[in-house]
Amino acid sequence: MNLHFIDWIWNIRGSLALAPEQSSDDAFGRLDPLFRETGTTHERTNDMLTFRKQNQAAQDKMATFDGGVLQIEHGMGGAVLRYRLASRTLLLCFLAPLLFLAFAQLTITIGKFESASTAAAEKSKKPEKADTVLQQHPIDKALGAPAPEKPKKKEKNSPTAAYVFAALFAALYLVGRILEGRLVKSLFRKSLRGS
Amino acid sequence: MNGVRVGKRVIGADSPVTIGWENLPQVEGGPVKRFVFTWFQPAVLFTMILFWFYAPNSIATASTAIAIGIGFKVLLLALEWVNPRYASWRLTWKELVTDLFFVGLGYTILGTVDNYIGSAVVIEAIQKSFDWDKLAWFSALPLLVQAFFILLIFDFGQYWMHRGMHNWYPLWLTHSVHHYITQLNINKGAVGNPVELFLIGLGIGGFFDFLPRAFLLAGGVGMAIGTYQHINVRFNSPRWWLFLFNTTEHHSLHHSRDFEASRSNYSGTFIFIDRIFGTCVDGEAELLGMEGGHRMTIREQMTYPFTEAWKTTKELYGKRRYGQSQDQSQTVPAE
Repeated sequence: MNLHFIDWIWNIRGSLALAPEQSSDDAFGRLDPLFRETGTTHERTNDMLTFRKQNQAAQDKMATFDGGVLQIEHGMGGAVLRYRLASRTLLLCFLAPLLFLAFAQLTITIGKFESASTAAAEKSKKPEKADTVLQQHPIDKALGAPAPEKPKKKEKNSPTAAYVFAALFAALYLVGRILEGRLVKSLFRKSLRGS
Repeated sequence: MNGVRVGKRVIGADSPVTIGWENLPQVEGGPVKRFVFTWFQPAVLFTMILFWFYAPNSIATASTAIAIGIGFKVLLLALEWVNPRYASWRLTWKELVTDLFFVGLGYTILGTVDNYIGSAVVIEAIQKSFDWDKLAWFSALPLLVQAFFILLIFDFGQYWMHRGMHNWYPLWLTHSVHHYITQLNINKGAVGNPVELFLIGLGIGGFFDFLPRAFLLAGGVGMAIGTYQHINVRFNSPRWWLFLFNTTEHHSLHHSRDFEASRSNYSGTFIFIDRIFGTCVDGEAELLGMEGGHRMTIREQMTYPFTEAWKTTKELYGKRRYGQSQDQSQTVPAE
């Protein structure tokens, strides 16, 4: 199966023009500290660097990415750094709404079963005791707290929370897909300039 | 590393920690900033007490409590950007996504499971089978006292469950996952293996009868005190606050890479429970986690207690069954 049409979901691609006299050695030398973090392994040939990350620390500036390829291409207009970075977190975040929609569906199904069995149980139920009046302490009364009331029964099986989280992860995916691309580009740019 | 002697224990021998209130870093900046970050915590606490005490019944509902809880978390997320405690705890997109995944589990599937096998359900079943009414020991007391008892009963139970998790291997397996976090952020309290999240939520409060408003008041007060355990904001908490309540300072020590420090500050809300039982250490730590800061993936967080339990059982079983022959096969230096 050709994944090229969908791999943009978890891959970030980008490019950066190198300074006119910057060699591949110099560019990769400046980027080198980024690939010396705990849990990172990398290999370099002349114009290409591949890396893998495992259990990368939260403090790792490239923690979002689990692997990737950086390549320097020499063209008429000068050298360009092209990169493709893969992220499991982006993929999982893209899929997370589906998981939460499944939870919502599960909640609805359980609710249907529950309401069927509750209706059957209520038919055979004894009449309930008369509601007792809730007492209020004189201090609370003197301080002006509202008189206590019995709370309304809350719905036990509501899918609302699952829908909210499905929407939240969809929004987080969009934010992450754009933000992480920009952040890593800026990180590479700063590293290449040595600032 | 020498560490610092605290009572009979040496804290900080494995990993750097700061011990003692007088050594804690303070909020830096102008007088307005220092004022805000000194009085923010008490101001929120007293606002919560006043709100839940006086709000009309139509407003004092569970949905209002949820809305306030979410709003408060968003505000604290903003404060993490304005005044972080440590740059190394700075929240990233990946950390936010991971943390929210666990928060989401808590609000959805774990909540559903809790509806059927949680402590409230078990207590209700016990009460029904013995035809018990709820114990109305506290419902005639003033609201604030009721709210205090709700929090204290839960926190007292949580203290012992948490302490048990640090002292009994099967429970530790479930809790250890939470100790692999290397940052404290607003949602990190939700990160852990689902079995642990279920266990830590168990309580015996359901045996007692309280007024509905007392639960809301307790929720508001608990939020205004307990949320700071996992948060990356520097506060100049007043001394009385540090003495009574569990803070980021206390909880960062609990998450420290230092073994002795991690065996302190077990309570969730009231640090005075730790003071009573001799497990409180005042101070803070920046370097957090286990195994030198190894960050677990979500898959590891979900499976670790089970894979570790399997490994340990196999080791034990293997030793009992094959122990002798294994010992014999060990290489002995030829001398």
